[in-house]
Amino acid sequence: MRKYAVIYKATLMENMQYALNIALGFISYFMMIFVFINLWDYIYSDSSQLIAGYNKEQMIWYIIITEMIWFGTRSATITREVANDIKSGQIAYGINKPYHYTFYILAKYFGEISIRLILYISLAVIVGVSFVGGLSNFRILYLPAIIVVLILGIIINAILKLSISLISFWIEDSNPFQWLYDKLILVIGTIFPVEIFPRWAQPIIRCTPIYVVVYGPAKLIVDFSMEMFFRVLATQLIYLGIAIVIMLFLYKKGVKKVNVNGG
Amino acid sequence: MYAIEVNGLSKNFKVKIKEKGFKGSLKSIIKPEYKTIRAVDNISFAVEEGEILAFIGPNGAGKSTTIKMLTGILYPQSGGVSVLGIDPTKKRKQLAYNIGTVFGQKEQLWTHLTPYDNFKFFGAIYDLSAKEVEFRIDELRTTFELDEFINIPVRNLSLGQRIRCEIVASLIHKPKVLFLDEPTIGLDPVVKENVRKLIKQMNKELNTTIFLTSHDIGDIEKLCKRIIIVNQGQIVLDDSMENIKYHYLNKKIVEIKLKEEVEWPVEEGITIIKSKGCNAKLEVDTTVKKISDAIKWIDADNIEDITISNVPLEKIITEIYKNVEMRT
Amino acid sequence: MLMAAKNQFRVCFLSIKYNIMREMINKVTFLTNIFFMMLNNGTFIVQWLLLFQIKEDIGGYTLDQVMLLWGLAACTYGLSHVLFQKAFELPELIINGKLDSFLVQPKNVLLSVITSATNSSAIGDVLYGFVIMCVFSFSFGRLGLFILFSITGAIIITAFSVLVGSLSFWIVRGEMFGTNLTNILISFATYPDGIFKGAVKFILYILIPVGMTNYLPVHIMTNFNPLFMLTVLGYMVMLVIVALYVFYKGLKRYSSSSLMVARM
Repeated sequence: MRKYAVIYKATLMENMQYALNIALGFISYFMMIFVFINLWDYIYSDSSQLIAGYNKEQMIWYIIITEMIWFGTRSATITREVANDIKSGQIAYGINKPYHYTFYILAKYFGEISIRLILYISLAVIVGVSFVGGLSNFRILYLPAIIVVLILGIIINAILKLSISLISFWIEDSNPFQWLYDKLILVIGTIFPVEIFPRWAQPIIRCTPIYVVVYGPAKLIVDFSMEMFFRVLATQLIYLGIAIVIMLFLYKKGVKKVNVNGG
Repeated sequence: MYAIEVNGLSKNFKVKIKEKGFKGSLKSIIKPEYKTIRAVDNISFAVEEGEILAFIGPNGAGKSTTIKMLTGILYPQSGGVSVLGIDPTKKRKQLAYNIGTVFGQKEQLWTHLTPYDNFKFFGAIYDLSAKEVEFRIDELRTTFELDEFINIPVRNLSLGQRIRCEIVASLIHKPKVLFLDEPTIGLDPVVKENVRKLIKQMNKELNTTIFLTSHDIGDIEKLCKRIIIVNQGQIVLDDSMENIKYHYLNKKIVEIKLKEEVEWPVEEGITIIKSKGCNAKLEVDTTVKKISDAIKWIDADNIEDITISNVPLEKIITEIYKNVEMRT
Repeated sequence: MLMAAKNQFRVCFLSIKYNIMREMINKVTFLTNIFFMMLNNGTFIVQWLLLFQIKEDIGGYTLDQVMLLWGLAACTYGLSHVLFQKAFELPELIINGKLDSFLVQPKNVLLSVITSATNSSAIGDVLYGFVIMCVFSFSFGRLGLFILFSITGAIIITAFSVLVGSLSFWIVRGEMFGTNLTNILISFATYPDGIFKGAVKFILYILIPVGMTNYLPVHIMTNFNPLFMLTVLGYMVMLVIVALYVFYKGLKRYSSSSLMVARM
């Protein structure tokens, strides 16, 4: 476990220097939120109106949180770099090292996004409080539970994206699949809560990673309930188990293929 | 009329100073500090039409900056430039029709196109009609022996073939002055030789004025009749190749290998550069001592091997660079 | 003069043609890029279908109008990136001294630079724009206007990008600033202007020219107004002149790669 901590620390230090770049990325995030504040302002006729069970504050907070997860966790480390490692045969060098390649990548990834995520969380809180106002249903007491769910969601997201990159063992370009996954999260999961979709589509969406990666954490922040928390947590644990199994399975199969072909 | 005339040319660069580490980065963002570097410092010279000139100096001496001001890429701080009677800062386009440029490290060809298509593209840039281009390519392909690969995409060509095409592309519009910035960088000896031949041929047949910068002594020795050496933005030497050689040729290097160890002589006009056991390397100043006198003291029977040679140009140039550094 | 313009045009045309040929070397990648970009844009229809289920008008727009806005945004963005990709990478070229080879050619520097590369997925944007326009609000007159505004819009975005990109001649970190402004322009371009109020609206029409590239043209296409039309054209001419002025002013400060050498 210690070696992963060292990898994490090294990458973290390296990324401290990119703080300025992160700050400039804030502008894009802020603009996105700004557009949606205006959009929901226009759509809600008054602040007491409920759309799909959400009032205006909750609706805007929802997108502030989901976009925060989206912007705060993006990185080429688990996508393009893994695909390149596989395609260039570079991965063969990682195989005989005393660590597991997938966990090495994940440690590196979290080292990379930690600072950024914390900055985005602070920004999200500032933007939310100053443009929308506090959430009436939110209590500090809920925070530990929310943090657990948020982090679990990010871990699941990373493992799924990494697994998609591992498909590069078999196909030339895994990007289209990566892209489809991103679109699923971004267009269906980020902009709207699940409840806005037609009744028939909702159960389907609840079964997708959207539920555990973005919807779950965001929903708990804007409208916490113990029952909801346990439901999300249980689903996340199941997802996490399955995702790890898939990732390890793909890696094991893929590496075997490389060995057979001699890289 | 001179092909190139330069008067009191200067150019400064402002460079941000950055301290090391994260703190340094932070500081350079909040309160950046600048340092002015005099890249080119009051340079004047003139180049005759049809001349081949070597413009050399150590890294960062201001060679490229000068060449870039002559071709209209950079604006001078002060001073005047006139190439073929045209001021690059005022009539950049007009100048461009009359000069050619090859920057060894930068490629201007489209790599997915064949040399032939590339030449046609450059023809269009220089406003040549389809017929003119056709004629010109025909001329160049025979002169420079491009037939083998004129229809193969540039990305599939060897480095040597590529550089040959780069040079030919810069000749499509029959430039009167050609600027070559390290044209032989990264090439193997055979290709280097070819490129030099090509440059020489161009100069002879078309009377093209050639302005060359290079770190390759071979390029300079084989091509140029005149050398300008710059260092720290200033001209430190502007002389003909013959003069330089003559000036330094009154020194000879004598390398001796003896059968038995002897006492090396301490005499005026002989400097011992290196001596170890039976081997020695001596420098003889022939204005003080004749070479025959210098080796007279050695017993001919004791000589295993002896070489007498001129001081290599490379050493001459290094010497000149060094002298300047000592002075400053 | 006319001859020079003709020759200039010929070089630009060849440049763009060769760029696209280069992208087409790998046909599979080329076609997937285009296809996925169209699909990418298509997914946003879901977003608008859902929003219009909640409310019938959004910012004074109907669904068809929002789609027209989307189509025009895709088309202007696409066209400018197919033809003038390097206008959007200008800061990188300036900072790393990559303008040299264009400066020794007897042609317009700016045009040579910005036409020296293309973006194949942007072809998907252009195609998507036309498909969306034809599906949601086709009429021959509108198609004509749509083509016209795609061109004016592409020119305005390009000029805007050249303008902010040229700041890199003065400010070293200019590239971040420039890329961000262009990104902002794009994120506003697909939302109805009616949802914005007051000062923001002013900024969108004057400072970030999304009003001139997209909003006003959509208003003209729904409700023809010659005065608006002249405004768009006038704004375009003005912006092009300002961009050219700033670029050439900055070019005198261009330092090629000499700074890098000095840094060593």
